Amino acid sequence: MTDPTGELGGPFVVRWIREAAAAIHEDREYLTQLDAAIGDADHGLNMDRGLAAAVAAVDADPDRSPGELLEAVGTTLVLSVGGAAGPLYGSAVRQMGRALDSQTFDGEGLLVLLRAALEEIQRLGAAQVGDKTMVDALVPAITAFERGLRAGEGLAGASGRARVAAEEGMRSTIPLQARKGRASYLGPRSVGHQDPGATSTAAIISALERAATETTR
Amino acid sequence: MSIQSVRRAAAILRELGAGHPRLGVTELSDRLGLAKATVYGLLRSLEEDAFVERDLETGKYRLGPALLQLGNAFLDSHEIRARSLLWADSLASRTSEAVRVGVPNGRNVLIVHHVFRPDNTVQILEVGAAIPWHASALGKAVAAFREPPALAELLESPLPRLTGRTLVEPRALQRALETIRREGVAVEDQEAVIGEAEVAAPVFDRAGHPVGAIGVAGPVERLLPEGRSDDAVVAAVKETARGLSRDLGGVRRFARHS
Repeated sequence: MTDPTGELGGPFVVRWIREAAAAIHEDREYLTQLDAAIGDADHGLNMDRGLAAAVAAVDADPDRSPGELLEAVGTTLVLSVGGAAGPLYGSAVRQMGRALDSQTFDGEGLLVLLRAALEEIQRLGAAQVGDKTMVDALVPAITAFERGLRAGEGLAGASGRARVAAEEGMRSTIPLQARKGRASYLGPRSVGHQDPGATSTAAIISALERAATETTR
Repeated sequence: MSIQSVRRAAAILRELGAGHPRLGVTELSDRLGLAKATVYGLLRSLEEDAFVERDLETGKYRLGPALLQLGNAFLDSHEIRARSLLWADSLASRTSEAVRVGVPNGRNVLIVHHVFRPDNTVQILEVGAAIPWHASALGKAVAAFREPPALAELLESPLPRLTGRTLVEPRALQRALETIRREGVAVEDQEAVIGEAEVAAPVFDRAGHPVGAIGVAGPVERLLPEGRSDDAVVAAVKETARGLSRDLGGVRRFARHS
């Protein structure tokens, strides 16, 4: 099934990255607060710095193919975010770029890219749903996105479903005890705190919805 | 034979320490499947010795200050910790990275001392953290020099995957341990946490047994630039571990194994 409302390409990627940078910038204090409970309290600042650098990287030459843009963003994130989030988000976005060799793609194509991102994150981190990581937001988002496409809701509808599912997944991390990352061996102190990685993932998926809505309007 | 009320008191302490910082009598009796009167009696006894304390506002119970004193006493019972304080400080300032000291504890390595990276960033104290031995440079440094039966037991126990890079195949681990015996230093490359690495060396006691390890931990891009450890860091870690072993009256056993 192809997306009936329009084709995605470089401009969509640029919009997504800008929306994601704005969302993370807005949430940076909150992300840092969440991270302070179980981490080094740097997730908000690191992500904010990394996405600002990613915006600069796409702005340097926004006319590149969407695959090239995503690869540039991924490399920038690896280099500028640091911590665990840099390698995880950066490699995931780079894999999205590598999975894309056309100038345009549709909702089905975007689904393939999201799956490539998830696969890379799980290859690096070996995390499953319930381990209290970004995977807890990303897996339900991808499932909901696919369901929306299959239901014929178009890109905007499917990405709206993805956002709702990502936010639910994010909140589902609150009662969990971390099973991956540093928080996992610091004992039960992660219980009762929402995972910062799942929270930034939900913000990035909500940016995807806004970029998709603007693109298909 | 175990005394039932001691077991029950222990279960209360574990429940309060399991991420529910404050629990009332009813919540505890539900969780443990015990009568409220029983739980109340146990809590009152624990409170007398300050193992739990009651929040005056909510009437709920939380862990008490006596546990912190016991925890500190436990840490101090490891001679390597007391002896490592100065060595760890000087290693941290020499390498500008965080330093951790660990002791073997079953299948884990227990962090008994942690010096923050001296750069004024917010860091979280990892003393008390239990890291699966095979996913940690500290754990591998100790395991490499343990007697064959103890090592075999470790290799036969479950080896959980913490990241995509954790070594979970006994053979792969055995090869890694051979390298550690040869080089006297263990390297961990994002095997416990993505983005983090550690370089550690074993510390020996008078009998020549590895009682723990000391290592430098930090971001992988700084600790393992180009994917391998910096010679200066390795030299600093090995020197520190040798000095600490000497303080413990220990002897280096590298020769015997090579």
